[in-house]
Amino acid sequence: MSRLGPGRWLVAVPMVLLALATIYPLLFTANVAMKTRREYILDRFSLASTLQWDNLSTAWNSVGMGRYFLNSVIVVACAVALLLLIGSMAGFVLAQVRFRGSSALALVCLAALFIPFQVIMVPLARIMADGGLIDTYPGLILAYVAQFLPFTVFLMTSYYRAVPTELVDAARIDGNTLYGVYRRIMLPMGAPALLSVGILDALFCWNDVLISLLMMPSADHRTLMVGITSLRGQYSADIPTFAAGVLIAGLPVLVTYLFLQRQIADGVTAGATKG
Amino acid sequence: MSPVGSSARAAQAGGTGGARPGEAVGGRGPASRSPRVRSGRRAERLAPYVLVAPAVLIIVVLRLWPLGLGVNFSFTGDGERNGATVGLDNYAELIGDPLFRTALRNVGLLVLLLPVAVAIPGLLATFIYLRVPGHSFFRSVYFFPAVLSPVIVGAVFNLLLAFDGPLNAVLGGSGVGPVDWLGDPDVAIFAVVGVHIWATSGMALVVFLAGFATLNSALLDAARVDGASLARMIWHVIIPGLSRTIQFVVVTTMIGMLTSMFGLLYVMTSGGPEGSTYLPEYYIWVQQGQMSLPALASAASTVLFLIMLVVGLLQVGLLRRAGRED
Repeated sequence: MSRLGPGRWLVAVPMVLLALATIYPLLFTANVAMKTRREYILDRFSLASTLQWDNLSTAWNSVGMGRYFLNSVIVVACAVALLLLIGSMAGFVLAQVRFRGSSALALVCLAALFIPFQVIMVPLARIMADGGLIDTYPGLILAYVAQFLPFTVFLMTSYYRAVPTELVDAARIDGNTLYGVYRRIMLPMGAPALLSVGILDALFCWNDVLISLLMMPSADHRTLMVGITSLRGQYSADIPTFAAGVLIAGLPVLVTYLFLQRQIADGVTAGATKG
Repeated sequence: MSPVGSSARAAQAGGTGGARPGEAVGGRGPASRSPRVRSGRRAERLAPYVLVAPAVLIIVVLRLWPLGLGVNFSFTGDGERNGATVGLDNYAELIGDPLFRTALRNVGLLVLLLPVAVAIPGLLATFIYLRVPGHSFFRSVYFFPAVLSPVIVGAVFNLLLAFDGPLNAVLGGSGVGPVDWLGDPDVAIFAVVGVHIWATSGMALVVFLAGFATLNSALLDAARVDGASLARMIWHVIIPGLSRTIQFVVVTTMIGMLTSMFGLLYVMTSGGPEGSTYLPEYYIWVQQGQMSLPALASAASTVLFLIMLVVGLLQVGLLRRAGRED
């Protein structure tokens, strides 16, 4: 039931126009990716007459997009796994256990939430270089973990805070150590939050370009988003191939969105309403 | 998921699981209970610290320490004067650099455009909340660009905004001359910020909708029964009812504009034309990554941090005032 009066169809008109403005750029790019170069130059708007799937394989093979894709998958998978493990351990303890210094440690984690990467990137690059971690997978993974850990800890803490502490007490009377409580109870119970936070962390890492540019300077180690920017220089005259590369890079995100939109929105709003 | 069910299942899984490193420290197997109680207690006391240690270590070493280090860097020299204390020289150089001044001027522009960036998703969320026909479809569509990488968004709009691109073709068809969206120094920054708003307002929209869920809908119903217009409902019921959400969106949108436009700038304009689209974050990256002037970059970082601090403090002030009014 609409809560708007009879004017609701009037409101729907600008909404539809805006929705078109949102979708059209993406459809346009997908269409261009399926065209021949000649077709694109002659008419930008026409539908691709035959679908040039070859553009996708050209983009994939010629500039090493396959390699970049793999780099991104490795780095994102490791970073997200570490973020969830470290973040849920800290979140559980900060939310459920009282110990000396716990509120100070919680404050440390919270304060880091307000330090943007741009502010610390110069000294961070130097620390990473001193540790021999520049241009290595562990270096970029660690940089991502450090970047998104405060957010992950924050959300896991607020999730575990809603779990009754009696549960922990009961489990400990049953003879579980704190580690056992974490592993057998809190980790399985945290699954919905871990899913939401994990997807968001994965999106953040997958979409990042600045941290990757700074930590992985050599061409071989480029992640996909940095790779796309190099594709542009190489194919400035071959727009359909460039568009095909963009399509490949965006596809995993689109699929994730179609299936897990609700969890993504939950993660975003959990950060907002509990802040 | 029910807590009881999951703990039972977890206990089952644990029973067959064998000793993990964590348990080895705790040492509470049924056989070893009595002789190891004392060391077990000590391990138990340490357990919370062990669990929180990785997070705290990473955050302190790779977030908080660099912040202090960076401020320190900003008072040292670059190149030949590497490591030497130079006082405020870097800051003086920043003020003298027209590129950095442009970056600061653009920050001012972002502040001016902030109301637009907040009002658009706010209005859309209002219509979706009021159940415009097709509301859940609109929600899904508007939110999608928010999950796309700035690199992809920038690449898409590079195609659309090219001088010989589709947008100009459409404008040309309606008699308006072509605009050099990304090549005209007076236009480019607006084009990039516009794309940023296009891409990120979905985030704010979702936050607004979460705020609406806490709004007392009886007030809206009463207003409608009294025959209030939509504009009056927004002004007298929705805005006061959502003041906390609006504040949150204002601050996060501002922070987003200051810290997440790098990807767009990198792909769309590279700071050009004529340096007109520089923002502090882009300036920092150029000085560090391309000019190898880390101390100067650190000074710019410190300035950016101060700007963000002001934004944060304004927020605290606003919250306090709102708290007093309640």
